[in-house]
Amino acid sequence: MFESFQHLINGFGIAGTIQNLAYCLIGCIVGTLIGVLPGIGPIAGIALLIPATFGLNPTSAIIMLAGIYYGAMYGGSTTSILLNVPGETASVITCIDGYRMAQKGRAGPALAIVAVGSFIAGTIGIFGLVFLAPPLAEAALAFGPPEYFSLMVFGFIVLSNVTGKSLLKSLMMAVIGLIIGTIGIDPVSGDARFTFDSAPLLGGIEFVAVAIGLFGIGEVLVNVNQPSELLDQKVFMPRLRELYPSIQDLRKSIWAILRGTVSGFGIGLVPGPSPVIATYASYMIERKFSKHPEEFGQGAIEGVAGPESANNSACQAAFIPLFVLGIPFAPPTAILLGALLIHGVSPGPLMISQHAGLFWGVLASMYVGNFMLLVLNLPFVPLFANILRIPKRILLPLVILFCMTGMYTVNNSVFDIWMMLLFGAMGFLMRKWAYEAAPLLLALVLGPKLEVAFRQSLMISHGDFGIFTRRPVSMVFLLATALFLVIPLVGILIKARKKGGKA
Amino acid sequence: MNRGEVIVGVVIFLFGAITSLLSLKMPIGTFRMGGPGLFPLCLGILLMILSGAFILKTCFQDRNKQPKKATSILASESPLPLILFLGAMVLSTLFFNTLGYPLVSFLLMLSLLKILGMKRWKLNVLISAMTSAGSYLLFVQWLNIPMPKGWIGL
Repeated sequence: MFESFQHLINGFGIAGTIQNLAYCLIGCIVGTLIGVLPGIGPIAGIALLIPATFGLNPTSAIIMLAGIYYGAMYGGSTTSILLNVPGETASVITCIDGYRMAQKGRAGPALAIVAVGSFIAGTIGIFGLVFLAPPLAEAALAFGPPEYFSLMVFGFIVLSNVTGKSLLKSLMMAVIGLIIGTIGIDPVSGDARFTFDSAPLLGGIEFVAVAIGLFGIGEVLVNVNQPSELLDQKVFMPRLRELYPSIQDLRKSIWAILRGTVSGFGIGLVPGPSPVIATYASYMIERKFSKHPEEFGQGAIEGVAGPESANNSACQAAFIPLFVLGIPFAPPTAILLGALLIHGVSPGPLMISQHAGLFWGVLASMYVGNFMLLVLNLPFVPLFANILRIPKRILLPLVILFCMTGMYTVNNSVFDIWMMLLFGAMGFLMRKWAYEAAPLLLALVLGPKLEVAFRQSLMISHGDFGIFTRRPVSMVFLLATALFLVIPLVGILIKARKKGGKA
Repeated sequence: MNRGEVIVGVVIFLFGAITSLLSLKMPIGTFRMGGPGLFPLCLGILLMILSGAFILKTCFQDRNKQPKKATSILASESPLPLILFLGAMVLSTLFFNTLGYPLVSFLLMLSLLKILGMKRWKLNVLISAMTSAGSYLLFVQWLNIPMPKGWIGL
């Protein structure tokens, strides 16, 4: 442990050079700007700027690209809070309470708590990375297809329980999302499914199109459908001191931030789309721990603080399988793997010994980057919050323009814009009929992985479903799933008996 | 009984049924070696079960409760702004490649602002032009993202 601490200090020395600080700063600024633009997420941002790093040494290159990664995460949260348009997958849950806070004139505290929570999560996470990376990476190897399947089923049930008022409606949306996720090429056999001989559909339905459509376009259409005098209503603009979190906000958020950090880090170690799962799990945890769970969905600051901290923490933990095992499980880390290989660095078990400077330098730069994001973004909170001063008559068309433009940039395809509009109409109808979009989105992301895990598990067991119950970790997740399903039913039955008794 | 909720439940049920039928046209395989149709078939059946349960639950809700007012899709008096708004987006998408990004973005902003009630033409044109130019500079010039050039050729 002492040796790891020493390496970390050396890492700070490497990250603290003027050159590397400058690259980290550039990465954070570019990442934040890219994250704010709908459609262009961290993946596109990192990919666009890899050529710009060819002239740099590997350490500086990865420091800058990593800065883009978490800068984009922060930028994605900004659009989630201000416009209800998730910048990337892990920002979806922030839309739920963050946007409601903005509608109540509390965009400033929401944005600020994201920066503060991410910084605290980053600070604690760096120690987790340093001291827990080797043993935890080995534990992650214990996850096989049955464990992934059970974990993801657990995630769906948990999410369906915590979003919306009807478990049944949320479950239906989750299954619809899973079905949409099957469109395209079967990941196991390679056959085309539900493509109707359409070439664009071979690649499946673009996640960004669904996310921007359901949340962004859907929200705009709901606003357009309001009586015209409501378009002139000004958002309540707070005074300067209300642009930042109050002492009460910080008191409410601190435990959410700490819980989010710990849960996010743990979940981030599990190979897979861990930042997404971490945000949903954190939201569930905060709703359970809250003394006022009815506030969730209406602008509860814990609903923003916890998931955003979990997101940051999980993103850091996702570097462990990348560096220690050489296996990227999230698309942004896959791009970073490509960048490492381009620069002649092969991640893996020998990376720490052969490229110690790069490994510890990048870890230390994550902390520096988090600090930079805090310093950069807190002063901009009033500027971002003032975006809501723009009258809705102008803001709504602006949102549409940026959504359509951003959507086109993903694949240079008009087909994606059509999908976005289709899901926008669907999002509008879902809002009107009180169906939650978050379960559908999570299912779309996890669906292909769930299917692969399901089919691989059954291949291993020769068709025996008992594999899911024989393996201890899988069994634990399935039991937890059953509890989440049974407990609400028991509650309903008890209430019904009490009513019957009174009558 | 909320009729609207039941109709939505039926639509979802039909979606599940269609998914199942289309899945049966693909190789299903066995659980030991699943084909491409296996997973969608399971999902289609699951969706039918869930939506069926939802329809039954909605139909047999507590009759002592006040019947819920049917949710109206339209909150405003006239659906015209919504239809025009959607129409403008659809037309922009149709002519995106033909007219090119700068022109489409300008026309889109112009039409959406008008639909939402911006009555001052000069201000409308100014905002549309500035927005279109700004997004062109940001995406095409700074980020080097290729956009359709269309008639203008930019």
